[in-house]
Amino acid sequence: MIAPGIKRGTAELAVLSVLEDGPLHGYEMARRIEEQTHGSLRFTLASLYPLLYKLEKRGWLRGAWETSATGRRRRCYRLTAEGKKKLAPIRREWAELFRALKQLTKVNHA
Amino acid sequence: MPNWEVLVREKLGGGSLESEKLREVIAEFAGHLEETFEQLRRQGLSEEAAVERALSQVKNWQSLGRKIQKARMKEDVMTDRVKQVWLPGFLTLFLSLMLLMAIQFFGPQPVIVSTSGWRMTAPVAVIYVPWLLSLLLIGAIGVYLAGRAGASPRAMLLSILFPVLPYSVFFVIWIPVSLILDDHIGHNTMRSALLLGLVAWVVLPGVALLAGGLPVQIVKSRRASV
Repeated sequence: MIAPGIKRGTAELAVLSVLEDGPLHGYEMARRIEEQTHGSLRFTLASLYPLLYKLEKRGWLRGAWETSATGRRRRCYRLTAEGKKKLAPIRREWAELFRALKQLTKVNHA
Repeated sequence: MPNWEVLVREKLGGGSLESEKLREVIAEFAGHLEETFEQLRRQGLSEEAAVERALSQVKNWQSLGRKIQKARMKEDVMTDRVKQVWLPGFLTLFLSLMLLMAIQFFGPQPVIVSTSGWRMTAPVAVIYVPWLLSLLLIGAIGVYLAGRAGASPRAMLLSILFPVLPYSVFFVIWIPVSLILDDHIGHNTMRSALLLGLVAWVVLPGVALLAGGLPVQIVKSRRASV
């Protein structure tokens, strides 16, 4: 498991990335993130929804109530055009950070 | 299985969220907890243990409530309708009035159109050509601001046409009502004045606003659909 302090920084990227494939409701989003990261990233109700509302307020996501095939009403979130635009620079920033950390680690081990 | 909505409501409390938003949050949290609970039950946990594990996702409900309020209350200060319709609408109306005033004071002489062919004979229509041209830009600004706030195509159209709404009310409601109520006005003269006024202050500005705003709206909706 990744420590909460590090996880906090990656949360936005995780949510935006998982929504890139299509709209999801909160529970499904948390489950997908956990599955795709093999349990390294886990979102609880308390950590997921404040983030979703924050991203929605920024206009990066849009939530709308939908009824599933089983008749359940769930609030589904989808990426807005603005959210899609933001995803690429955030990805680049993280890739740069990982590269920098990798380089630093190599230097330290040399 | 517990009633998740009742449980969440009890734990979250009301705070200062308005009731509709609070109901939405409660329903959303209840749905999340219900699915967590069902998953845990499928994994073989007892009902009691599954409820406990589902609720353990939130360590501090008060703190969560505060975070939710913070995230959603700022949204209340300026609702979507304000951002998508009223703000762009009043801004473009203000801009168009200011420009009209400036053009009346400092601009070239207006074009005067009369039904009788003689310029000084009423009824006449006063057309400020530079103002009509400036409305192209104002229509584009209106639709840009509305679109940026995520407005629907209908709200974008309303924000384009907002600056002509006061003139429409004046010519479509105020003058016809005055015509009906006041017997001293020459009805023949007023009818042609009304028609000329409608063309000069509603139709022409409306066309100019649409000519400026619609291309921006089309570009915006194409980009959104990509």
